[in-house]
Amino acid sequence: MKETLSFVLNGSPVDVLAAPTETLLDLLREQLGVTGPKRGCDEGDCGTCTVLLDGQPVRSCLTIALTVAGKEITTVEGLADGRKLHPLQKAFHERGAFQCGFCTPGMLMSAKALLDGNPNPTRREIVDHMSGNLCRCGSYEEVIEAIQAVANGEYKE
Amino acid sequence: MKDVRYFAPTEMAEATQLLARYGDGAAVLAGGTDLVPQLNYYERHPEAIVFIGNLNLGYVKEDDSKLVIGAGTTLAELLASDLVVAHFGILADAISELGTVAIRTTATIGGNIANASPAADTVPPLLVMDADLVLVGPDGERTVALQDFFTGPGETILDTGELISEIHVPLLNGGTSFKKVGMRKAQSCAIAAVAVRIEMDGDTCTDARVALGSMAPTPLRCTTAEDLLKGETLDADLVARCAEAAVGQTKPIDDQRASAWYRIKAGKALIAKALSEAAGLGM
Ligand code: FES
Ligand code: FES
Repeated sequence: MKETLSFVLNGSPVDVLAAPTETLLDLLREQLGVTGPKRGCDEGDCGTCTVLLDGQPVRSCLTIALTVAGKEITTVEGLADGRKLHPLQKAFHERGAFQCGFCTPGMLMSAKALLDGNPNPTRREIVDHMSGNLCRCGSYEEVIEAIQAVANGEYKE
Repeated sequence: MKDVRYFAPTEMAEATQLLARYGDGAAVLAGGTDLVPQLNYYERHPEAIVFIGNLNLGYVKEDDSKLVIGAGTTLAELLASDLVVAHFGILADAISELGTVAIRTTATIGGNIANASPAADTVPPLLVMDADLVLVGPDGERTVALQDFFTGPGETILDTGELISEIHVPLLNGGTSFKKVGMRKAQSCAIAAVAVRIEMDGDTCTDARVALGSMAPTPLRCTTAEDLLKGETLDADLVARCAEAAVGQTKPIDDQRASAWYRIKAGKALIAKALSEAAGLGM
């Protein structure tokens, strides 16, 4: 039985109906057309569906949509400020921190959560934090360098 | 498809009544990291989902020389808790290797226990601290020893309508150590995991606990190894005999992660390493 659900998505209030078994990823992609978060595995392993829930990284494929009532969700669509890319987006783009880009929405959101909590992470901390985001194209090294570059202040808002 | 109901009770009494009413048809939803994949892959078809995240079960307190942990505390909260880091370092060690950041933000300790996976990483550290569980049901609450909680893979003594509400961890003395081997460091289910706690008086071991994960149908206390240790002088030979005795109590399986043969080998090495570390033997 569908229930009403209200939450804040990328700064805007959303009111929808969601089924009890519907995940946040289903809701975003199928109902709301927010297709930044990707479905890689649907079981928590790959990280490409990562979004922020009240600023904390979560797997949207493991989050029952109805549990985000009253919370704030940020997807990759909420990163840029209008047409101005977020420093992480700029760094990923300029440093080629992807090939096909399928993992990138999740990588960006995980990286944002890291830098929000720890603006100057060590390489080890970056590697640990990003270990739940898989990249089949093997862009790991460039991802780490892009995050380091942002932490070093090479990409400003 | 059958219509599934969703409930998000804010009172424990309401939650237990719902669980009792739906019985086997109820799925308890906390962090969702174990349940939701089963829903996504149509491996489970509950009649009702009971979300327990609004019951205010997320806390860590120190009370009367024990830690009181709310079952809804997330693994990330435990890792960030000064009380846990100061008094229960092996739990923090186990959690830091469990899943990954975005799993730990939602997965709860109560869920890790209640799912009764033989590979639940928080369980061996809790077993060596003689932890108790507070279970709440429609007819009231009871306290049980964690080591009596598991009856098989995915099977526990929880009655219909019952939930874990708290975990009580006595702050016992002794050196501790947690060791795990998985396919990769991050986000991997344990092939074998071991936690130990040893109380020493000089070179002599006065009390000991050895617990294993992923080596039997349930997480396991190795009492034969514990008995070998008590009252004895700890040296490399005794450590080796204990490791042998401990794996002798296990029933590991072959699965996609490792063979039983490998689990025995790895388990033995991990036990020896953990015992030496906990006792401060430089081996
Ligand atoms: S789709 Fe969510 S982790 Fe892979
Ligand atoms: S860029 Fe292709 S999966 Fe990462």
